Amino acid sequence: MKNLALYKIPIGYMLIYVVLILASGLWLFLLSQGLDSSEGVLHTIQTIMHTPKPKSLHSFIEVAAPHLFAIGTLIFVVAHFMLFSTKVSQKVSLVVAMLLFALALFNIFSYLAISFGLFVSGWIKLVSLLLFVLLFLFLLGLVAFSL
Amino acid sequence: MKFLVTKDLAHSTLLTTLMSAVVFAILLYIALDVVLHAYVIGLDMDSIKATLFGDEANFVEPILLDSLLLQVHIDLFMTLFAMLILSSVYIRLYSKKALTKWIVHLLFIFGLLAPVVLLLAYLAAPSLAMVWLIIFVIWHLLAVVVSIMILKKLLFK
Repeated sequence: MKNLALYKIPIGYMLIYVVLILASGLWLFLLSQGLDSSEGVLHTIQTIMHTPKPKSLHSFIEVAAPHLFAIGTLIFVVAHFMLFSTKVSQKVSLVVAMLLFALALFNIFSYLAISFGLFVSGWIKLVSLLLFVLLFLFLLGLVAFSL
Repeated sequence: MKFLVTKDLAHSTLLTTLMSAVVFAILLYIALDVVLHAYVIGLDMDSIKATLFGDEANFVEPILLDSLLLQVHIDLFMTLFAMLILSSVYIRLYSKKALTKWIVHLLFIFGLLAPVVLLLAYLAAPSLAMVWLIIFVIWHLLAVVVSIMILKKLLFK
């Protein structure tokens, strides 16, 4: 970063906040799929693979609408800090950010495919969610590396 | 943040007005956030305990983990954006003050701790309910003070 010592503080905290937002989002998703204290995370993931919880169009839109706004804004805000980076090329930042936007859309709309019966198994949601979270963590790593 | 930081706009009336407006909006958000949490969780120990752990005498069920976690998830998101904007403007205006660094640290730390402690109180340690209330009040007061300092500097310089 270029001579912006004080601005490193909010950017650093932003990384922690985003990790917590991702973690609480994952937890909420698992809870919506039946996670409770008696059956662990692995069992819930197996359940999602075999019989994902049915979701009406209304429930889908209720989740998708705020997430389209929130995830889009969050990616923009995090990725725009790469404009200050002197350690990572803007080309790399651009590819990561665009891929992340694509994965976010794929992740949000994957449950629609399950709801409409295009996929019986929930693997598509799990894969898209995993890829999205991993790539977001990678972007956070790039921002942290640039600080 | 890039637009707030750039020196090219240092003397722009438009930017000054925009910064005042966004900080005023955040000030209103902080006030309404207190009201929202008073409704959802409660702002006195009796209502907080009744919300988190239920109240058998009055047949009140404890809040569901899904509902509380959703509130925490939203709180983290909203706090992040409010604090990013507030701290960016504050740093721009008060970068020469020695206290600025610590005020920004405190804003983010209390904003982060409030939802985390609330969740911990619900899941593991009911005694933390009081700690949540203290942290929640401190970070809202701090954010109000910072907002007023910013508005004072922008509007009455």
